[in-house]
Amino acid sequence: MSDHAPGFLFGVDQEPSPGRPAFDPELRAGLAIVGGMFPPTITPDLIDFMRISYAGPPLDALITGRPIRCEERTFFGYEGHELEASIFRHTEALGARPGILFVHSGGLMFGDRFSGLDRMLDFVEQLGVVLVSIEYRLAPEHRDPYPREDVYAALEWVASDAEALGIHLDRLLIAGASAGGGLAAGAAIAARDRGGPRLCGQLLDYPMLDDRGVTKSTNQFDGIGVWDRVSNETGWSALLGERRGGPDVSPYAAPARATELHDLPPAFLDVGSAEIFRDEAVAYADALWNAGGHAELHVWPGGFHAFDIFAPHTALSRGMIATRNAWMSRVLAD
Amino acid sequence: MQELLARLKTLDPNASLALRVIACFDELVRGGVNTQALLGAAASLSGCVAGYARASPQSAMRVAPSGEVLSEGDATPHPNALTSDGLCVWLERDCTAQANDTMILERLALALEIRHGRKPEDPLLRLGALLDAEVDPQQRRAAAAKLGLSARGRYRVLSLPLFATWNHHPEMLEDVVPTRFGPMHVGVVPAEITRVDARPCGVGAAMPADALHRSFSTALVSLRLCAIPDIPIVVADDYGGLVELLAQCSIERPLLDVEELEDVMQYPWAVATLDALLRSASVREASRLAEVHHSTMQTRLETIRDALPFDPMDGIGRTRIGLAFLAWRLRHSSVLDLPPPSERR
Repeated sequence: MSDHAPGFLFGVDQEPSPGRPAFDPELRAGLAIVGGMFPPTITPDLIDFMRISYAGPPLDALITGRPIRCEERTFFGYEGHELEASIFRHTEALGARPGILFVHSGGLMFGDRFSGLDRMLDFVEQLGVVLVSIEYRLAPEHRDPYPREDVYAALEWVASDAEALGIHLDRLLIAGASAGGGLAAGAAIAARDRGGPRLCGQLLDYPMLDDRGVTKSTNQFDGIGVWDRVSNETGWSALLGERRGGPDVSPYAAPARATELHDLPPAFLDVGSAEIFRDEAVAYADALWNAGGHAELHVWPGGFHAFDIFAPHTALSRGMIATRNAWMSRVLAD
Repeated sequence: MQELLARLKTLDPNASLALRVIACFDELVRGGVNTQALLGAAASLSGCVAGYARASPQSAMRVAPSGEVLSEGDATPHPNALTSDGLCVWLERDCTAQANDTMILERLALALEIRHGRKPEDPLLRLGALLDAEVDPQQRRAAAAKLGLSARGRYRVLSLPLFATWNHHPEMLEDVVPTRFGPMHVGVVPAEITRVDARPCGVGAAMPADALHRSFSTALVSLRLCAIPDIPIVVADDYGGLVELLAQCSIERPLLDVEELEDVMQYPWAVATLDALLRSASVREASRLAEVHHSTMQTRLETIRDALPFDPMDGIGRTRIGLAFLAWRLRHSSVLDLPPPSERR
């Protein structure tokens, strides 16, 4: 290829860029469809736009045609602030069932309890779990510790009300995706430290764990894909303000900061090889193993952030979903 | 993806969904994905089962929007099937056909033919030969003739992101082509046309039909010089050889003068001020263009002078600052990242 038509040299990642894994072809095709809708680089001035663009689908769209019923509840978050939760049960469910507390995605700044819920609802349908999806207060209006302490308060509520909620307390799992994955991991550490509820597992989908932005993968995907380094800085700055990257950040907010990772519930981590969270997910799994813990890690080649939500029909997504479902079934199924 | 398409339409009524469908299948074909993945994309885009059947050798498959293969048992073509050359593709809709169904089926059929070795990959690159510098001139001339371009005529290539906003979309030769900046919407128009009512848009230099690869490369640079909302359209003619020079160099590599200019560009007034200075013969004229007081412009100029190792208003210094400014704009171009939300709703 010559230099005369630089724009025509290669397609995006047709020829792997030096030092960066290429996107999977099916995912690349998906990006061609949604291009511009989910900007790779999210700066503070885009928060309002993302709150519209990333809002969860209406409840009806989520459960219509599924054997699932939903109950709306409120619970007391941090400092007694009332927050909303949706509880999903199988229409045929009887007696105490396994429970999932789900913490939604959205970079700590957007999203709601209905965002990215489809795959979680599969567990209600297939395993008969009780799924509790919660709101937590969002940054930058509510900085640390509000989001994480709201999540922790939700965990205490679900555990203490387990009987009334119809949840089998021995089989309570915390799950979260992206920013929610980081908050879920943080809540698991906090529960250990504070003598809180015992969890049977933590499902961490492409979790946002590290505010320091120092890994190789964080710097590999500037301006491409979904959620790049700048977006990550926007999210962590919204949560931590000036404290981002400094010495004064709690491991409950940024679990990559944790130095004590013993005695945590079994963890499942999945992540794409072509996203900024790759290295921190791998490092977290590694740290759990080093602390004698139980962790299962899957890195999906050519996957960008949250690719299973963007393009669930692709071979890579179906692999990720089936693998995750197999683990959830091992941990939660009757 | 059907849901995403619908939300995209809500968020951005001007989105060119058909172009995105083309770009999607182009990526799938270039990525060498299999039959299941091609049908899966069609099913996911349309929100219903997609199927294909071929008479000889006999083969068929149906795929759900979830990407799963369904039983072949009832692989009978649906009423809205598209059949050609013994290949039949269809979408299993309960209701009436949707706006993009025809486009999805056309692209699916073409992609299956390529995957199954029935057609070379070339048909996807409809304008490809015309715009590819690697193709020899003879082939380019043949491609131009086939597309109805006159050998003696002069034309321009337009380059726009798929999310460009069109107020008026005229009839023209157009395509979606892969570039290193992602899939790009390109059009070919007669040289007399220097503007279209779309934003952002890069308008390439006028060239004969067998040199449109050069027009394309200048159109891409022009597009990246756009800045929404201030500069919705850039015409390569305004910069001539400068744009083609920039098209030929690796702008991401370190460049003298650009590094120094970074300090100046931190000032909020920098872009408008430099633009005015470069378009004017004097500081007084520049202050009129930028709509600031003469003394303000003078102060800013001194700030710029202090930051640079050369005088930007003197002799070769004017050329240096001009080129450095364009290079800086390309490096910091965000026009392809995202249309500003306010522009989209």
